[in-house]
Amino acid sequence: MPYLGSEDAVRELRRALSNPNVQSDQLRYRNTVLKAIRAMSQGVDVSDLFSEMVKACATVDIVQKKLVYVFLCSYATLNPELSLLVINTLRKDCQDPNPMVRSLALRNMTNLRLPSLVEYVEQPLAAGLRDRAACVRRVAVLGWAKLHNLQPDAEIDAAVVNELYGLLRDPDPVVMVNCLRALEEILKKEGGVAINKPITHHLLNRLKESDVWGQCEVLRILQRYHPQSEDELFDILSLLDASLVSPHPPVMAATLGLFLGLCSGLPAVSLAALERVRGPLLAACGSTSRETRFTALCHIQLLLRSLPGLMGAHYKRFFCGYAEPAYIKQRKMQVLVELVNDENVAMLLDELKGYCTDVNPETAQAAISAIGRIGRSYSDRCLEILTGLLGLKQEHITSAVVQTMCDLVWVCPQCSDTVCSALEGCEEMLQDSQGRQALLWLLAAYGERVSSAPYTLEGFIDRVRSEASLGVKMELLTTTMRLFLCRPSETQDMLGRLLHYCIEEEMDMCVRDQALLYYRLLHCGIEETHKVLHGQRSDPSLGVLIGRPAEPINQWAYSFNTLEPLRQAGVETEPASRGSPEHVTFDPKPNTDLSDTLNCSQIEKVNLGSDGASGFTCSSAKVLAPLSLSLSPALSPEEFEHLWMQRHAEQGAEKLEEEEEDYVCLEERIQFPAIPPCSPQSLQAAMQLVNIQTLAFTPPHTLPWRVYLYTHTHHAHYGSTLVIGELLYIGEASRRVAAVKKGMEDGDVVEGEQEAGLSGRALVRKDGREEEVEVTLKQQPRDDNALKGFLSILTTVLHTLSSESS
Amino acid sequence: MLQTSHSIECAISDDFRSGGLLQLTIIFIFDSSVLICRNYKGDVDMAEIDHFFPLLMQHEEDGLLCPVLSRGNVHFMWIKHSNLYRILINELVSTTNKNSNASLVYSFLYKLVEVFTEYFKELEEESIQDNFVVVYELLDELMDFGFPQTTDSKILQEYITQEGAKLEVGKSKVPTTVTNAVSWRSEGIKYKKNEVFIDVIESINVLVNANGSVMSSDIVGSIKLKTMLSGMPELRLGLNDRVLFALTGRDKGKTVVMEDVKFHQCVRLSRFDIDRTISFIPPDGESELMSYRINTHVKPLIWIESVIEKFSHSRVEIMVKAKGQFKKQSVANNVEVRVPVPSDADSPKFKTSTGNAKYVPEKNMVVWTIKSFPGGKEFLMRAHFGLPSVENNELEGKPPITVKFEIPYFTVSGIQVRYMKIIEKSGYQALPWVRYITQSGDYQLRSNV
Repeated sequence: MPYLGSEDAVRELRRALSNPNVQSDQLRYRNTVLKAIRAMSQGVDVSDLFSEMVKACATVDIVQKKLVYVFLCSYATLNPELSLLVINTLRKDCQDPNPMVRSLALRNMTNLRLPSLVEYVEQPLAAGLRDRAACVRRVAVLGWAKLHNLQPDAEIDAAVVNELYGLLRDPDPVVMVNCLRALEEILKKEGGVAINKPITHHLLNRLKESDVWGQCEVLRILQRYHPQSEDELFDILSLLDASLVSPHPPVMAATLGLFLGLCSGLPAVSLAALERVRGPLLAACGSTSRETRFTALCHIQLLLRSLPGLMGAHYKRFFCGYAEPAYIKQRKMQVLVELVNDENVAMLLDELKGYCTDVNPETAQAAISAIGRIGRSYSDRCLEILTGLLGLKQEHITSAVVQTMCDLVWVCPQCSDTVCSALEGCEEMLQDSQGRQALLWLLAAYGERVSSAPYTLEGFIDRVRSEASLGVKMELLTTTMRLFLCRPSETQDMLGRLLHYCIEEEMDMCVRDQALLYYRLLHCGIEETHKVLHGQRSDPSLGVLIGRPAEPINQWAYSFNTLEPLRQAGVETEPASRGSPEHVTFDPKPNTDLSDTLNCSQIEKVNLGSDGASGFTCSSAKVLAPLSLSLSPALSPEEFEHLWMQRHAEQGAEKLEEEEEDYVCLEERIQFPAIPPCSPQSLQAAMQLVNIQTLAFTPPHTLPWRVYLYTHTHHAHYGSTLVIGELLYIGEASRRVAAVKKGMEDGDVVEGEQEAGLSGRALVRKDGREEEVEVTLKQQPRDDNALKGFLSILTTVLHTLSSESS
Repeated sequence: MLQTSHSIECAISDDFRSGGLLQLTIIFIFDSSVLICRNYKGDVDMAEIDHFFPLLMQHEEDGLLCPVLSRGNVHFMWIKHSNLYRILINELVSTTNKNSNASLVYSFLYKLVEVFTEYFKELEEESIQDNFVVVYELLDELMDFGFPQTTDSKILQEYITQEGAKLEVGKSKVPTTVTNAVSWRSEGIKYKKNEVFIDVIESINVLVNANGSVMSSDIVGSIKLKTMLSGMPELRLGLNDRVLFALTGRDKGKTVVMEDVKFHQCVRLSRFDIDRTISFIPPDGESELMSYRINTHVKPLIWIESVIEKFSHSRVEIMVKAKGQFKKQSVANNVEVRVPVPSDADSPKFKTSTGNAKYVPEKNMVVWTIKSFPGGKEFLMRAHFGLPSVENNELEGKPPITVKFEIPYFTVSGIQVRYMKIIEKSGYQALPWVRYITQSGDYQLRSNV
């Protein structure tokens, strides 16, 4: 269509619309209206035609009416006064003998979205509720919800609400469901539609009559119902059983959601329900719609958290097709990793190997890291595949393999020999910073076993001027230092060059500071340097944490059948979550691939036997609420300082009123005989394992000995909180008392201002027995479960440390 | 970054408690411009739509494309409906603010596509632009205030018609179906000759590994009806016992278990539960009466052995052997074996024992067509390609060999229609016609090169 100036077009249309000849000819009139709508949908501003269109509304031609309504609903908000004229026509249409016309008029009346028209709309809407035709009632019921939405603060007419409740018994299932929807909207402030026993039973009995959308709506709203007796509960469950295996994934998911809600106190029944939906879920995984497949996969991942064996026999259903989109392939691989066992491992690895050469680099990377994860249990087979992949000489594959090996070695040190021999010649193929960082980390940890390590480093150092990545430079410094310690003669010269460059020429302050630090460290002598730089190469204790224990269903049930499981994937697969598992050097690097949040349920189990001596009793039967810790967002020392002082002041001032405040104080004692021998590094590493960050500490063997730490707790239901704390030890002969103080407050970090020595007044209790640590926890907002969870994690860490050092 | 994702989670949990479901805006987007858009509840800022396409592009570049894209607390849940024959892409997007049942939203979007394709044959840019009035009407009928309403295309087609002329003044009356007890069929349908055609169609999905082992296989079956019957007939469909047992899950030892059995809403499920009869009042015209899936180890009906030898810088030699592993009496029609070749291959040469081979350079494959392929027979195709001396450095995927075929008068599952009883008040005689077809679904054999 030739583009006329919009003004011309509008003028032309207006002339045509007001031409009596056109108006008298039904077909011409309609076509002119059509032209106006076409112009509108092409983005031409035709709002000037409003008055002409209002006239065109008064016609017997339904098609023209519909067209005009489309126009009016789009522009009504711009012309509230003129819209008043339409109301008359609409009200007249509401009397029309044709139910189609009546429902059309009602719907558009409520779609005008003009608060000024509400008074004219109410009467026809009320009449609509009592209309003979179901299609009019459907529209009228929702109309009330729209009116309420328009004026959320207006008073609710009790008569209307009553009538809507009455219409729940309407013979038409759509009217029934629409009533639920409308009441839900209108009574939002009172918590939605009231769900009592008669309503619940009525809805359940008529569930079958509704279409898929209606069923889902009913099932969702019923989640609020609490059966009065166990018998009633089981009656409801058996009524729902057929929907649980419904071939429609939305109904199946909604039913399972309701099931899990109803059976939250009956884990055995919930588990049985999960078994029951296996078939429909697998069917949804084979659906022709990729989005349905994706959704099903995400939900299977949730289910596997509680029932790891659920899909074991069906692992072939998760093999990827060639043309599947990357997001499905990556999800499938995540599921496959969970399903690996002795019987299928060969086949699974064979399949995953095929994905490693996928054209999509992200998918290839995901496949390689999936193999790495399986490698924690089946290291030989996986290493064979990984080293084989290096032979392909593809940049992105090599990078992913080196990163995966880096992660693998951290957990399984027995792999190091194979990894070391595989590293030779890799550096030419590594282009991206993450891959090079991983290579450098491996060289730092196992430099003495890789014969070409100095040559590789030399290459890096020669190119350091053109190096863009900060991470690589930092890693390079540490690696060169560590290699210098084990192979001094080969490395001395290049270390000098590197330090010189970093101190004299480097523009980035972080790198410069790091280099200066190392430089000064070297001045302190080789012994001292060795002590600082000698770090862990691996963490065998992590091996215990790998096998994920079955989580209680309640931990994820709240997010079932929402967008959350779909979104979590996005975060998990972000390339940013990869990196080297460096713990020991002083640069605070996020401890990444070990998953950002570590689940504490495992730790709690370990803890159960050992915390008998501590004053805190953790009832072993009770499963603590889902709590996980994480280090992000990071807290800077200044911010910490500010928060710490703030907490402290408040505590001093209002000690008596603490219980009424929104944070709570808890004091506990923990046995911890290992404070003096334990090195800051090992403490820091241990804390980091459970995602507690130590911010600052005094050197060992100085008194009083202090550690400042922080973490974030993530609770499944309440979002996250920030925990800050201090460990204090005052050595007095054999008396060891330490106080841990913690202040918790909301996740939002306040910008701090002062920078000074951290010298918070500690709360010391001298009544503690020998080798005891006193713990004081403050929390805001109050959440006892999270507090207890955190305390038990801390206790475990300290116990583990003291048992290691003794 | 972490902070933002954090706030999204909060938004979700907030909305979860408030309990809303769909906050839908339906948008059709073609080539980054909005074709048509309908804001159902009016509280999503329409400016949000402008963010969708850049967001999509950005995620695609990062390789993080996902069916849910989020910006702040607006979530875009989108599907892509593309036409294979013309490279034309439409996107259906729904934005939702509330914490919604994800599979429900996707089902609705697919329902939308289904309805529109039934109206316009193909859902693409032109059909939407040419019919935007109907599109607006349909969008209004399908959903009101963010809640799905009438989504059955059969019913919709009765009162929203494509030709405006059909809706003559005064003639438009309420379709009985909107209020009727039998919502899928209106009264007063008349045919001169009363017939019903029953198609039993089974699609075979197979995935075979490069070393020749079958990784997965299943059968997706459906019974389709084309009903041309007057009045309100009552139909009863009789299937063979073997299938009935499979349907009900009895006698699990011998028969295969059908899973994912879906009946059209017209089938009286209560009746089926009691005495296993499939009885129904059929919708007029074409409809799918039931569908099922059998997850079983079927012998691949057409077996492919392939040897693909790639001599770098000089040539590729392909040898493909196809074998019909079905009964001798049956014949597979229109068999197409699609063999992938490197993208830089040239100068094709073919030799086939039957049928034709053709090189399709734009898809990087050889298509070997065999018009009629009797069971138990074996055929051979050889192909030879030249490769340039300068090698293509780009990493290429390993597409599988795919096979297309159709075998009439045969079903893998053994499902059979024993009888179809048609009872109508007026007592007319009607003829049922039954046809069986087995065809290839997703039939892939991975190659070793």
